[in-house]
Amino acid sequence: MIFLDNASTTKIKNEIISEIEKSCQLFFNPSAVYSKSLETKKHVLNAKEQICNALGVTYNDNLIITGSATEANNLAIIGSARKKDAQYIFSQGEHPSVYNCALELKNRGYNVVFAKLKQNGEVDVDDLSKLLENDTCFVSIMHVSNETGAINDIYRIVKLVKSKQKDAIIHCDGVQAFGKFGINVANLGVDMYTISAHKFGGPKGIGALYVKDIKKLKPIIFGGGQEFGLRSGTENVQYILAFGKLCENLNIQENYKKVDEMRKYIIDFFSNKNDVTINSTLNGSPYITSISFEGVRGETLVHMLEEDEIYVGTGSACSSKKGALNRTLEAMGKTKVQNEGAIRISLSSENSLDEIKFACEKIYEKFLILKEKLR
Amino acid sequence: MEKVILLRYGEIHLKGKNRGFFDNQLIKNIENVTRKIDSKCKPSKVGGRYLISEFSGENLERLVSACTKIFGLVSLSIATKVPSVPEKIIEVLNDILSNDEFDLQFAKSFKVDVKRADKKFPIQSTEFERELGGVVLDKFPDLKVNLTKPEKTVFVDIRENGSTFIFADKIKCCGGMPVGTSGKGLAMLSGGIDSPVACYMMAKRGMKLSAVHFHSFPYTSEQAKQKVVDLAKLLVPYTGELDLYVVSFTKIQEEIHKKCKDGYMITIMRRIMMRICEKLSEKHGFQAVITGENLAQVASQTIESMTSTENALENLPVYRPLIAFDKIDIIEIAKKIGTFDTSILPYEDCCTVFLPKNPLIKPKISLVEKEESYLDMENLVNEAVENLELIHLS
Repeated sequence: MIFLDNASTTKIKNEIISEIEKSCQLFFNPSAVYSKSLETKKHVLNAKEQICNALGVTYNDNLIITGSATEANNLAIIGSARKKDAQYIFSQGEHPSVYNCALELKNRGYNVVFAKLKQNGEVDVDDLSKLLENDTCFVSIMHVSNETGAINDIYRIVKLVKSKQKDAIIHCDGVQAFGKFGINVANLGVDMYTISAHKFGGPKGIGALYVKDIKKLKPIIFGGGQEFGLRSGTENVQYILAFGKLCENLNIQENYKKVDEMRKYIIDFFSNKNDVTINSTLNGSPYITSISFEGVRGETLVHMLEEDEIYVGTGSACSSKKGALNRTLEAMGKTKVQNEGAIRISLSSENSLDEIKFACEKIYEKFLILKEKLR
Repeated sequence: MEKVILLRYGEIHLKGKNRGFFDNQLIKNIENVTRKIDSKCKPSKVGGRYLISEFSGENLERLVSACTKIFGLVSLSIATKVPSVPEKIIEVLNDILSNDEFDLQFAKSFKVDVKRADKKFPIQSTEFERELGGVVLDKFPDLKVNLTKPEKTVFVDIRENGSTFIFADKIKCCGGMPVGTSGKGLAMLSGGIDSPVACYMMAKRGMKLSAVHFHSFPYTSEQAKQKVVDLAKLLVPYTGELDLYVVSFTKIQEEIHKKCKDGYMITIMRRIMMRICEKLSEKHGFQAVITGENLAQVASQTIESMTSTENALENLPVYRPLIAFDKIDIIEIAKKIGTFDTSILPYEDCCTVFLPKNPLIKPKISLVEKEESYLDMENLVNEAVENLELIHLS
């Protein structure tokens, strides 16, 4: 099996599985008052420190553990919404867990606007700049696009927004960046940053939100007051410990080098091939490459590759139904044919160059077969 | 105080000498459905009705819900069974009223309706109605008696076998004829809104159904196939056990695309589907093909298109129960039977693959046959039938 859909999820690392197994002994509720619980709580705090280290900050009541990155994005956005007539800015290329929160706010009567994407998939900072108003109170821009790998210059965006409106809250969905790039949320200057464990070797069912100032956030889940009252619910001790462990040895540089080499091969392989467009920019994340095969449906290619146990992601789910085109590719100005024929190859450091070489051959071979059949 | 379910049938009573055939099939269908829910329950025939008794109380709701979907039944009631002794009847009625099982507390008017099939019962119907009415009024003094248009009716059914049934509400069932009394049909199930409704309609007239689905992996996904399996499962409460034949259509579509003129894709595809249905019918004894086609809905549903499709069949009729329905009426039934939400899941079906830019709206049979002559028809059909996957749903 060659798994090239790592932007959707990744295989859990063996050492993380052992960590989860080991920590199952530590079943105590961290909120109870006996010493075993206190011990458990210490482990949880230690894990939070490890996660914060990876985010480039010291743990200081500034990390809220959630059940997923989707939940963290919901908490960041819905939990920050206050004045309805103030302006809330998002980008057209956000992940559904952000984009649909924005639509929900819009439905509730909030003043929500969307910044355009450039052809290379990055957020158009000039357009964002034009959108900014004196009453802009919230901006959410993703760090790395889950569809194309395009990297947004968050540092510059923060500077721009704060120069116009210093009190505006800036949130960044960092799910496709964290664990793959050296992140320093303090340097980036963001107020909130969303991360997830299962995109780089951790288990599903755990995410987190870095929050610079928790006083500015309101909870969206109510209960026993865990996570500073911002995310009630008994702590998922096993997965928190696993998340901490995961952040301990990230090997960012080494992995990047390896993945970048594989990405270069993919780009070289598909460049100058007829009816093939590479949608991702070379300046983007090497972990994600979006490629369009014109004249076929991406999903058909995905199914054909499945027969050879090669797994890649689709761009658009199903093209014949209305509204099913990939929103990000649409916002980048891709044609309908390019949009329908898009697949997403997303890598992890577990992949090898040999796998990539084999997969590229297969992908192109299947594309030619399909193209011939559909002629 | 035993709870039972009284089932009333509809059209069967219009039958003459062959009534036993319909009766037997219906009781068999009731048995099949109810025994799956409660293995101890006992369906039986009592006078002009069926009765389900001896089930465990916790299964009551599931049994009632399942029985409303058995074709041939028009209504049912949850009744309390008591021995036909006046004092006993009054005592049990009092218990029922104490629990307000009949929701009389907020009703304005009522009447008691006594039916005395057992003429040995010591009190006359009208007299007993008055007496029981008094019992009700004692418990709910604000109620008014209204014999012509009561809001609630308390039925007391004194049967000949020494049992009496007390009940208040009649729950509507689906009507129709018992499945298995009107031959065997093969329904084409696409995954859209119409075809499950067509299945429902034919099963309602008593036809025993199997279904066939054509899928085109890798052009369509596993989810598209699973969606059809899910739809078929949703139909089982109405149709009874269902065999679903899943036929791979990929090669056939590729061959048509390669060898025939573009505009003929849909027509030829549908004609080959018919031939596959005919082959399956020869093997399994189906007497008709059922489709969800509907006049003028899409290009393949013009009178010319349907004629040319049907023309591919040699010995089988095609039944199209939805032919004259408006889409909104079909959707209404789909929602009622619970298939709508699954039908609208956004997965491709095989008809949207290789979709020609300009499909023929009025295909001429002679020209279609000419295009088909470029295909190795017999082998394509045989291969498809040999390689199908059978999924049994119960």
